[in-house]
Amino acid sequence: MNFSKLLLQTLGAVLAVATLCASASAGDLVVIVSAKRPATTMTASQVADIFLAQAERFPNGDNATPLDLSLGAALRDQFYIKVAAKSPVLVRAYWTKMVFTGRGLPPREMSSSVAMRRQVAGNPSLIGYIDSSALDDSVHVVLTIGK
Amino acid sequence: MFNLIHSTTSRRAAGILIGFTFFSPAIAQSGADDGTARPWTFAGYGSLGVVHSSEAAADFSANVINPGSAGHSKSTSYDVDSRLAGQINYTLDADWSAVVQVVSERNLDHDFSPAIEWANVKYRVTPELAVRLGRIALPIFLIGDYRKASYALPWVRPPIEVYSALPISNSDGIDLSYRWRAGAGAVNNITQLSFGRTSLPISQTAHARARQLTGLSNTTTAGALTVRASVMTTTLTVDIAKPLFDAFRQFGPGGAALADQYDVANKRTSVGAIGFNYDPGNWFLMGEVGRMNARSFLGDKTVSYLSGGYRWGSVTPYLTYSNAKSNQATRDPGLPLTGLPPQLAPVVNVLNSQLNGLLSKISVQSTVSAGVRWDFSRDRSLKLQYDRLSPRNGSSGTLINVQPDFQSGHPIHAVSAMLDFVF
Repeated sequence: MNFSKLLLQTLGAVLAVATLCASASAGDLVVIVSAKRPATTMTASQVADIFLAQAERFPNGDNATPLDLSLGAALRDQFYIKVAAKSPVLVRAYWTKMVFTGRGLPPREMSSSVAMRRQVAGNPSLIGYIDSSALDDSVHVVLTIGK
Repeated sequence: MFNLIHSTTSRRAAGILIGFTFFSPAIAQSGADDGTARPWTFAGYGSLGVVHSSEAAADFSANVINPGSAGHSKSTSYDVDSRLAGQINYTLDADWSAVVQVVSERNLDHDFSPAIEWANVKYRVTPELAVRLGRIALPIFLIGDYRKASYALPWVRPPIEVYSALPISNSDGIDLSYRWRAGAGAVNNITQLSFGRTSLPISQTAHARARQLTGLSNTTTAGALTVRASVMTTTLTVDIAKPLFDAFRQFGPGGAALADQYDVANKRTSVGAIGFNYDPGNWFLMGEVGRMNARSFLGDKTVSYLSGGYRWGSVTPYLTYSNAKSNQATRDPGLPLTGLPPQLAPVVNVLNSQLNGLLSKISVQSTVSAGVRWDFSRDRSLKLQYDRLSPRNGSSGTLINVQPDFQSGHPIHAVSAMLDFVF
């Protein structure tokens, strides 16, 4: 009885890890932090809050700074549609309102998923999003978003 | 610091600033891939609009301090909503930053000379708490602090009954903003407390001065829903009608009582408002209700609007209903003529009618607006809007430059087209 419960728990844990890894299959959009940070997951709304300057901290209280891909990048548009339900026009309108009320500036921009990954890997306060094909073990996936 | 900006010198500074920003290479918001954020960033917004109004006996205007001239002065006018703004941000480090925003729009001098909309230094005490010192946007009403950035609005202009109730958009002083979370982190709040003053020349001789301008606002965001509640109080002096009230004071206690009741001399003016915006992405619904009590001829008004729109690809049709009603009588019998020496009766008659002329400017009006926004390219949108204004009860509503032959109580039609851009 105890053994089977343990087995089930282990299986559950293995499955959960497997799902986490498997869910980030090639071609997915993944939200990443440095591998220097503890491996945790975040919800879409926690991620959206940081990218929209509604929150400046990770859920554990550490300072968080978001990075964007370049304006017009397809991945960037998908990211905001999936995470914040905002089309490119709505994101632009949102930042118009934030910038011109002095409440924040949009995230710095990276030219590619690889540049983004390198930048995030080196700094535990950064958070970014990349195509899962650019993943390596220098970063942790905190949220996987299907395309 | 509080007197950082004063008319002529500030206008000159603003002109230099605009010149500088146009001749310097445009600075994007982005940093380089090496991870260093650039300390200077430049951004701007603008609108180019035309308005046609059917009312020939008054001018259509969005705001009394940016007087538009559509209707009586010109049947079609570009000066109601057109403006250009540039903003420079300087970020010293994670904690210190500064910002200057210059706006060129139609002003009370009847030109478009640029003025400093805001200029302040911000110190971030913690990621949650920030202090700003300088000229700061007033966070009163849902969109009070970004109403000029029309690209961020669904409409050609914010609903006029509500947003003309508070014409000033900034104050010189200090503000504190504190960000906090509730409901297990799902509800974001920003609470802003501000204290300052502002002064505005209305004519060669008259000024509007708001002192001890104290505001408190709380903006709550939970998913697609944003709610802002705000209150503001100030000691207001607008001496534009001072000669009239000085004249009333010559007529004994009765005249003095009328002057005290209606003159805007150190009158405590208060504004309270609550508004919501629900925007899940494909559509939006927003509404506000507020009260502005100036305890004077500027009125005690309750203002409200409800607006909704549907985003159909890049095209967003919208519909708005807005209303202003007066909580005080907009007519006053004035000083009784009985018992006056015959030669003074016509004088008092004129004073009484001038007083009622002022009271008829308290907006009692409703407007139905229908329009469409077309996001035809990145950073640019085109808007077309039809407004049907109904001033009533003898009021000239939100209209300005009201001519003697103006008749309240009939609908006025206004059609606007506007190009908005951000850069």
